[in-house]
Amino acid sequence: MNLRDVLGRKRLFFDGGTGTLLQAQGLKGGELPETWNLLHPERIQALHRSYLEAGADILCTNTFGANAIKFPSDGPLALEAVVRAGVALARAARAEAGRTADAWIALDLGPTGKLLKPMGELDFEAAVSLYAQVVRLGAEAGADLVLIETMSDSYEAKAAVLAAKENCDLPVIVTTVYGETGKLLTGGSVASTVALLEGLGVDALGVNCGMGPAQMEPIVAELAACASLPVVVNPNAGLPRSVGGETVFDVGPEEFAAVMERLSAHGIHLMGGCCGTTPAHIRALTDRCRALPFFSPRPKHRTVVSSYAQAVVLGDRPVLIGERINPTGKKRFKQALREHDIGYLLNEGFAQEEAGAHILDVNVGLPEIDEPALLTEAVCALQSVIPLPLQLDTSDPAAMERAMRRYNGKPMLNSVSGKAESMAAVFPLVRKYGGVVVGLTLDEGGIPDTADGRVAIAKKIRDTAAGYGIPAHDIVIDPLTLTVSSQPDAALVTLEALARIGPEVGCPTILGVSNVSFGLPQRELVNAAFFTMALQKGLSCAILNPLSTGMMAAWRAYLALTGQDAQCAGYLAAYGSQGAQAAAPAAPNEAPPLDECVVRGLREGAAQAARDALAEGAAPLELVDRLLIPALDQVGRGFEDGTLYLPQLLMSAEAAKAAFEVVKAAMAGERRENRGTVVLATVKGDIHDIGKNIVKVLLENYGFQVEDLGRDVAPETIAAAAARPGVRLVGLSALMTTTVVHMEQTIALLRQQVPQVQVVVGGAVLTAEYAARIGAHCYARDAMATVHFAQQVYPRT
Amino acid sequence: MKVAAPYPEVCRYLGYRRGVQPDPETEALIRACTARVEQAAQPRTVSAVHPLTFGAGNGLELGPIRVESAALAKNLRGCEQVILFAATLGLEVDRLIARAAAGRVAEGAVYQAAGAALIEAVCDAATDALRAESEAQRWYLRPRFSPGYGDFSLTYQPEIVRLLRTPERIGLTVTDSMLLLPAKSVTAVMGRTRQAVACHRQGCQACGKTDCPFRRD
Repeated sequence: MNLRDVLGRKRLFFDGGTGTLLQAQGLKGGELPETWNLLHPERIQALHRSYLEAGADILCTNTFGANAIKFPSDGPLALEAVVRAGVALARAARAEAGRTADAWIALDLGPTGKLLKPMGELDFEAAVSLYAQVVRLGAEAGADLVLIETMSDSYEAKAAVLAAKENCDLPVIVTTVYGETGKLLTGGSVASTVALLEGLGVDALGVNCGMGPAQMEPIVAELAACASLPVVVNPNAGLPRSVGGETVFDVGPEEFAAVMERLSAHGIHLMGGCCGTTPAHIRALTDRCRALPFFSPRPKHRTVVSSYAQAVVLGDRPVLIGERINPTGKKRFKQALREHDIGYLLNEGFAQEEAGAHILDVNVGLPEIDEPALLTEAVCALQSVIPLPLQLDTSDPAAMERAMRRYNGKPMLNSVSGKAESMAAVFPLVRKYGGVVVGLTLDEGGIPDTADGRVAIAKKIRDTAAGYGIPAHDIVIDPLTLTVSSQPDAALVTLEALARIGPEVGCPTILGVSNVSFGLPQRELVNAAFFTMALQKGLSCAILNPLSTGMMAAWRAYLALTGQDAQCAGYLAAYGSQGAQAAAPAAPNEAPPLDECVVRGLREGAAQAARDALAEGAAPLELVDRLLIPALDQVGRGFEDGTLYLPQLLMSAEAAKAAFEVVKAAMAGERRENRGTVVLATVKGDIHDIGKNIVKVLLENYGFQVEDLGRDVAPETIAAAAARPGVRLVGLSALMTTTVVHMEQTIALLRQQVPQVQVVVGGAVLTAEYAARIGAHCYARDAMATVHFAQQVYPRT
Repeated sequence: MKVAAPYPEVCRYLGYRRGVQPDPETEALIRACTARVEQAAQPRTVSAVHPLTFGAGNGLELGPIRVESAALAKNLRGCEQVILFAATLGLEVDRLIARAAAGRVAEGAVYQAAGAALIEAVCDAATDALRAESEAQRWYLRPRFSPGYGDFSLTYQPEIVRLLRTPERIGLTVTDSMLLLPAKSVTAVMGRTRQAVACHRQGCQACGKTDCPFRRD
């Protein structure tokens, strides 16, 4: 029988623990259990058999840790043989037990044990390949489904699901581990994990390991409330406890079964055990729960987007999507994109997050830019440090696909239209990777003038999506905002369409509101009023500038007025203290001058002082040479004398940087004179980069252009960057004794390929002698020393 | 586990010498960033007791792990068991540090220092609990000794991580270059002996690197 035919239609039972039982038979701590597929096959087969006899319907192969990291090609046992034997033993046990027709073999995949980039070292595609190899082997050997289990990182789970779906047609089930806080070890919530996995099109999902059934209850309740798919619950036999060096689990079979019966009332569809559970537990479980009433999972029809950490639901409270990561009409942003300044994008993200955005739109489209590469890079950088879900905004399907593949969550997508070509390009991507897609109500005939026309296109988009298996709740319709100054009924048509889409099309709605005021003065007045009107018509989410006080005020006031802000708490938190602030005496004359701001490390003060000085007619370069650089020198000397400490040096550096930003803007895109280019990198294998980042800020303040290659950088990449015209200095950092070897290799390569380039090194484990021995031209004990060496390498002409 | 990063320790990791107080603006930054680290941290620890056997020379067996280290052999002299131990603050602290890399380097440096102070405090609190548990069974605990101390090589980290199953249990991994990830993490060994030995030297006093800039006086 095909598992898909029964999944969600009747209760199924998984088997229980493996590791603990093998240890009882002599498996040593640190020994890989999968080796027993070849070393003691009879014991593995007997264990499977005993689980079948206890009533299990799904057997997990003994392949949890079978991957090329734990079984490298030069190791004693071949991965292929381990996986094939794992599946064969489960199949043999099933045949022996006469359960071929009604028991299934799950190819078991556990975590790789490595953390994925950018927080870790394993590349996402490398993780996909590791799993793909095992999936192909397991499917060939005759597994009936793929079980991806004990995952504590949603990103790694995504890699495993893609590997499974791209390499076999078997059903895929994913279970993750939650801690006591209700979060994955890497930060994900139940809702965010469910959104990701359902978007990827798995067949069932749930929770395993980590804790016992009783501790799992809140997680199980939340899973059942969010998931539209069958829910799996495979707990440990209680919380692990260490007794005399052994890990023990305290919950016995009867108690385990009793708690599982209670949990089943929340609506769970597959149950079994994990660490510490035995055939006796599964026997008690199946005896007690097999005949309980069964309820198939109910679709929840919720529109959810997610990040690694959060789920955002569209259709409850109106949601704000920050629009500022977008080059349209922004000179400084375009410059940042051309200079590959990802930090600039991140800061735009942080500012919107702090202002209260719920989702961030990401658009990096410029004609001269490799958009697929840059969008993917921007998304990877943003999602590693910002917990908000992202909206991938591009008209290039290739860029959209690459970014979707790497996105750690269920993204929002901007956008598809009613044009056949657009839908044919975008819907297959949504089908494969999951996502909530914005549907624009325009098609080959343009934008309809009437609400009727726009509602009709919305229906066409919804119905075409359904043909790809994409439900209506994963489409958000944009009825489009046109300019009221050129078309008097523009806003009214949009509002009418907006009001009709919910009831007539069954999709949530979205608008970019600011178009409405194009060509008018005081645009924010019109935008805010239109936004309020749209909210009143049921708008689900808006793309806007969260730094705009008028728009945010309209939103907060609307929530308070419609009973969606309990005790007006949000409104009060935003505006409650403003009266007091306004009453404070203004003291413009007391603002310290620019150089003092830099010395004292006052970032806002330095930026303001620079603006004031420019407004009073100071020449930008004069500010730099007469005030900024001397102030930096003063702080640098204090640091070197030991009268000033690192945090002060850095606060001053940031204050100076803020002032430089103002100066840069005043020079209208013109660059400050480049003192020289310095290539910086943390060497291969090393991910500690704070020292390198400090050096970067200081070098930039002193007028050097820094080519920052990041961390864990291969020698070849560094050599290639150093070979570019004009580069005369490379700075390398390494923090650990185990990574200094890569520094030595890098220097050797640089000396060979670019002998004209000087190398300065720094890092906790280095000394001047050691630096000399590995061939560096200079050892810098701190960031100021690097600046001095750079000044020597690039003397002022 | 609710543990705080002691302010004087954060200052020490930032390079402040004993007796030097940061100015008020810096102090405000240090306190605010330390609070953010404490908020972001999800401290988790895991440990297991294993038999200890001494081999020839400086050879040791910590359960199934064979180690060659004079410094560790000296630290464990007289012990019959070892506790293998691992602790981490979790990935959110790494994210906080990574976030600061985009132009907030002063915050980044303080997060780094506060993270270091906090993981030490977490290890100390966990060690205290293990000591109390051990002493209740009349075992005495030796000070923590981590890979990287003296000649106890970092290359033992993968074995400790694998034996304790830290990736699955506390989200702690080790890279090919023997770095622990999340970055604010510790692996360590603690000897257990039936002999009460008072006043064992620990921390900086036990370390041979006398020119270390962070050495406590």
